Amino acid sequence: MVAEVPVLAGIAASSPAGLLIITILLTPAAGGILVFLSRNKRAAELVTLVSATLVLIQAMALVAAVLAEKQISAFGQLFYLDSFGALVLLPIAGIGFVSALYSINYMGKQYDRNMVDAKQLQRYYQAINIFLLTMLLVPLSNNLGIMWVAIEATTLVSVLLIMLYTKESAIEASWKYLIIATVGLSFALFGVVFFYYANSTVQATNTQSAMNWTDLVAHAKILDPNIVKVAFVFVLIGLGTKAGLAPMHSWLPDAHSEAPTPVSALLSGVLLNCATYGILRYHIVAIGSLGQSFSSMLLVVLGIVSVGIAAASIYFQKDMKRMLAYSSVEHMGIISIAMGFGGFLAIYGALLHIINHSIAKPLMFFASGTASQRYGTKAMANIRGIIQTMPVLGVLLLIGAFAIAGMPPFNIFVSEFLILSSGFASGQYLAISIVIGLLILVFAGFMRHIVRMVFGSPVESLKMSYSEGGSLMEASRLEKNQSYKLAIIPMLILAAFVVILGFYIPQQLHTLAVNVSEIFGQTSSSGIGQNHGGVT
Amino acid sequence: MILLQIDLLTISAAALLIATFAVVVRRGFLDWLSGYRYQALVLAGVTAVIGYITGTWEIYVAAILTLAIKAVIIPKVLLRVTKGLSGQLSDFNPYVSVRSSIIISAILVILAYALVQEMFANSRLDSVARAYLPVALSLFFIGLFVMVSRRIALNQIIGLLIIENGLFLFTVSLTHGLPLLIEVGIFADILAGIIISGILLSRISQTFDSLDVGKIEQLRDD
Repeated sequence: MVAEVPVLAGIAASSPAGLLIITILLTPAAGGILVFLSRNKRAAELVTLVSATLVLIQAMALVAAVLAEKQISAFGQLFYLDSFGALVLLPIAGIGFVSALYSINYMGKQYDRNMVDAKQLQRYYQAINIFLLTMLLVPLSNNLGIMWVAIEATTLVSVLLIMLYTKESAIEASWKYLIIATVGLSFALFGVVFFYYANSTVQATNTQSAMNWTDLVAHAKILDPNIVKVAFVFVLIGLGTKAGLAPMHSWLPDAHSEAPTPVSALLSGVLLNCATYGILRYHIVAIGSLGQSFSSMLLVVLGIVSVGIAAASIYFQKDMKRMLAYSSVEHMGIISIAMGFGGFLAIYGALLHIINHSIAKPLMFFASGTASQRYGTKAMANIRGIIQTMPVLGVLLLIGAFAIAGMPPFNIFVSEFLILSSGFASGQYLAISIVIGLLILVFAGFMRHIVRMVFGSPVESLKMSYSEGGSLMEASRLEKNQSYKLAIIPMLILAAFVVILGFYIPQQLHTLAVNVSEIFGQTSSSGIGQNHGGVT
Repeated sequence: MILLQIDLLTISAAALLIATFAVVVRRGFLDWLSGYRYQALVLAGVTAVIGYITGTWEIYVAAILTLAIKAVIIPKVLLRVTKGLSGQLSDFNPYVSVRSSIIISAILVILAYALVQEMFANSRLDSVARAYLPVALSLFFIGLFVMVSRRIALNQIIGLLIIENGLFLFTVSLTHGLPLLIEVGIFADILAGIIISGILLSRISQTFDSLDVGKIEQLRDD
């Protein structure tokens, strides 16, 4: 009873948009429970699809509310959503939806091939719902402790999803991921506690809210700079591990390539954003406390190292999904570099890049997942002539690859161009020229692999994979199950966005991005008083 | 009274370090586990002492949670999952020998004390923080060292748990406890993590016929 009263009061005090924050979190939780209760495969698929659709609708409503009110909160200040959070929230919901849709076809085929049994399938859909819940919690939490708990929970749930397959490589990948990410996040927790300590020592009265990000930003100027420095380094190491920044990225190619493909799309497309988002929240505080140079320098250096390592690994890669995983390291590096450059143009570009990457990467994962199901291998050397065996898929794969590699007229070109030109504008010639060189290498690597897979003669490679796979009868059975129409729909949706965002940036997206660059600007330019006004 | 407090602080800090070294010097999993359990018991006691000194009831709750989860539930879970693996539980061929491990751990403790001096040079720390912060960092470093210096996958879990104990001590002594809601969330994460790693451990031993992490290295770019 005692515990219930503040909860009820919290709900009563929330605005309608605040209520939406609560329901969007309850939706996937309910989905997970319903899947647990469901008895058959169809019901689990349907429940997950419905819950993902509802999450997407509510996320859109929340973004609309943020556009109208700039920031909304619930449970006092525990949950909070501003334009920055909205830009992370929307891709989570969107990719959650397309992944749920793609799962029906992809996991259905895995089931037909006895890669997973009915129980595993149920566990899969259950975990997908909970995974969605933990990711949604990250941009919605104002309290940095809750954000940490949510990020750690994403690790645990995604480990469960990766170890769905019981083959050796999946076990190895999930073990590495669990151990490295957990150690990384323990660094991050040290950082969180440091920030909390710094903030609670400057205010004698109310330490309850000292863990809230809004509170931390408001006091950024008076925090002990020594502690903030140490704290930011710890957070950067910790969340950088989770965001796949080199040299802490070693778990990422394993985990992202061994996961079931819809999960890879979520891991690469949106989970990395969550961690990057966390780093940037602390970056804003660090800018306010220490000025631009300290944290920006670290971000640029880690970013360049990431792009460099990724470029080399992409060029010499043999496994399709590992190549895509390294490409995620590259793009997280680019975002980190852009955020390090700072200034309106770079931040605007970085935000667009976050959105663009989380659209293009799942497209690539879906396309390659369907292709490797057809060819029975992830090895790029054995996949040839997709354009003849599956024409639509071939075109989609090409669009995705051109976009990911930064070719015009696709969406990633726009944001990369903005970031690079902002670098020139702010005089970062050395960093920019290194990055351009590396991006050319990435481009060459991608084209080398993709062109061979899409074009080239298919017959030989199909024969080869079939003879590896077993008897002719099994081959013809596989042939019958090759319908991939349902898998094409989510890819078409994503490809449409890839093309559209290459030409045109919607007004709403523009407004959100401008608002976020104001959030970044608020600690560096304006004083403490104004922040207080904005927060309360 | 103050004298009594300081004595309690020093003695409990020393007890924590001794418990950590018990893990470093042993080779078998059951010894590590009892070292860890001993450490968790002392940690719960230390937490209660901090609660007593600072007069915050939330810290008492954290102490009870520590006692229940770390000293009872986690060792039980680990014992249960390792029941079937009895042949593979000892590490006779670690990457770093026991003798060097002790020396390295001692150096890490000294490093932790120096680091705390350096980091908090400008801040006014109370006696609790001054006594426990170096120990907390020592646990963190030694935990990391245990993880990388041994061959058996179980070590990585034990190392992680030691790191986590250090983290908890760090939190309690520096900030006198996080808000209870978050503390509970962290405990839930740890418990779930241990259960998942337990399942993974038994799969590793089934699939690879060994818990040697040196043998689990198939995924690489070549």
